[in-house]
Amino acid sequence: MPGFSPLEFVQQIINGLTLGSIYALIAIGYTMVYGIIGMINFAHGEIYMIGAYVGLLVITALGLFGMDSITAILLVTLAIGILVTSAYGWTVERLAYRPLRGSPRLVPLISAIGVSIFLQNYVQIGQGARDVSMQPLLSGGWQFGPANGFQVYLSYMQVLIAVVTVAFMAGLSLFIARSRMGRACRACSEDRGMANLLGIDTNRVIALTFVLGAALAAVAGILVSLYIGKINPTIGFIAGLKAFTAAVLGGIGSIPGAMLGGIVLGLAESFASAYLKTEYKDVVAFVLLILVLLVRPTGLLGRPDVEKV
Amino acid sequence: MKIFNRNVLSAAVGAIILGLSGLAQAEETIKIAVAGPITGDVAQYGDMQMTGAKMAVEQLNAKGGVNGKKLEAVLLDDQCKPEQAVNVAGQIINQKIKYVVGHLCSGATIPVAKTYEEEGILMITPAATNPTITQQGYKMVFRTIGTDDQQGPTAGRYIATQIKPKKLAIIHDSQTYGKGIAEEVRKTVEAAGIKPVLFEGINKGQTDFSALITKMKKDGVDFVYYGGYHPELGLLLRQSQDQGFHAKYMGPEGVGNKDISAIAGPASEGLLVTLPADFSADPANAALVKAFKDQNLDPSTPFAMPAYAAVQVIADAIKGAKTEDPVKLADYIHKNSFQTPIGKVAFKSNGDLKEFEFVVFKWHADATKTPVK
Repeated sequence: MPGFSPLEFVQQIINGLTLGSIYALIAIGYTMVYGIIGMINFAHGEIYMIGAYVGLLVITALGLFGMDSITAILLVTLAIGILVTSAYGWTVERLAYRPLRGSPRLVPLISAIGVSIFLQNYVQIGQGARDVSMQPLLSGGWQFGPANGFQVYLSYMQVLIAVVTVAFMAGLSLFIARSRMGRACRACSEDRGMANLLGIDTNRVIALTFVLGAALAAVAGILVSLYIGKINPTIGFIAGLKAFTAAVLGGIGSIPGAMLGGIVLGLAESFASAYLKTEYKDVVAFVLLILVLLVRPTGLLGRPDVEKV
Repeated sequence: MKIFNRNVLSAAVGAIILGLSGLAQAEETIKIAVAGPITGDVAQYGDMQMTGAKMAVEQLNAKGGVNGKKLEAVLLDDQCKPEQAVNVAGQIINQKIKYVVGHLCSGATIPVAKTYEEEGILMITPAATNPTITQQGYKMVFRTIGTDDQQGPTAGRYIATQIKPKKLAIIHDSQTYGKGIAEEVRKTVEAAGIKPVLFEGINKGQTDFSALITKMKKDGVDFVYYGGYHPELGLLLRQSQDQGFHAKYMGPEGVGNKDISAIAGPASEGLLVTLPADFSADPANAALVKAFKDQNLDPSTPFAMPAYAAVQVIADAIKGAKTEDPVKLADYIHKNSFQTPIGKVAFKSNGDLKEFEFVVFKWHADATKTPVK
């Protein structure tokens, strides 16, 4: 086995960041819902899967209508994808969570798993159980490095994923920090009962949380259908599991934590694949989770004082 | 009173069942279960198998069936999953079906082969190639396809004699079929003096291979053998091209269907695949090929003709042995040979074919293939 190559290391960081960005986008949905109602939204992985399907369908349809500007296709797809999955996110909250508010915590958990199974089968019936694939919209990239040695390859798609992810995360952070609704979200997260007494419509805030999470999951889904190009109705499960791990790793309930957790998980998988064996990448990811939780039970950026009821 | 009720009830149920089966089906049929993935990510292969088996049933029935009885294909979906295959085996036992054509995936076939052996059900798989299936001393289990210890060496010898790669990587999907064949290939190339620089598994369902591709690129790999199915290989090919990693790839029959081109697009051009010979090109099968094409079905897929042959072996054995008892039929099949679209077939005592040939094909981006050897 040839030795260590610094350029390969750079390439593995790029690979890990790309993967991590997607995990981070999905992880935010888990963490926001947990931050506000203290529960895990188990249907979130399916929302991501629906985002991927909407992305693929819209991109194919726009291609048929002869739209050829990549920027325009991307913007239209993101807009439609976010709208559709937001509607799904809102519906999940209305059907599986709101009617059960105030019941024991296990009850909405089970109803969310029910929604997850329903959505998976619903897409299977509507779109078929088989893989659907799409040819890349954006190919090519930049190469760096010696002409006869290892060349680092940074594809346009990887740059696009990074840019879109950073843009949406910055947007979300601004929204939470500055806007009126964002302030209401933070208030609910701190003390939902008190926020209610002070005149904040907490039901609306909770619905908004689901919608925001779903929107970011849609972005992740669309990026995946562009980058990977092959999806099926069961992709939500593994992606959801990984993103949930990322959220816990970063400290569930903390938005910067979810971002950090996603990136750390992506890098860990990439390095495990590169310097150990590919079959160990999931093992490494979960061992890392256990180690972090042993040292910091609330995750990397979690607040230790929060005890949700 | 109670007895009366039960009679009424059973009469009613009987009437409903008769009603459902359409009264015309009053005559008895010989049921053959065709088990394989109808849904799931490798359902394409299930299609190939079902197509061949259904065609055989149709043509045998057109010739008057078997011993005056019509054949009936019962399609069952195992999704290529071992746990689902066990459910399917349960259904077959409950419905008292005595013959199975299937299963398709090796991982799904291994657990149920034992069940069929114990229950005295005759099983012929037209697709599962893992050698261990026929190494258990089973009497009721046969296959009308080759095995990975034939297919692996075919691929391995081709790599060692024709490709002569400087740096060979062998990747597999960590499943029964993929890992098994990857190990056969490794054995053959190592015997020929080529030591792979990399031998490792990916996870089934994995979609991002960038880290693995980067590693192979750094190690200067110029040829990759992949043991597994097309969904993962398609993405590997595509992401290799994206990263500017230009090694040639080769895979077993599990990657050889048109979906690989749908996933990988231009990156699937030049992929090498070992497949059963294309029986639809055999002039002796011209009439049969026409029958397939008349119904818009594809006879050239790897499992269509072997599935046809499996049904035919069962039917011919029932005719020849003049019994429907599966145990006696298994004995008859062991002792005789059968003329089928995949040639004259005879079985070894373990249920494998005495002869079966795999051929190396070159795959093209438009999902066609040409033989190279």
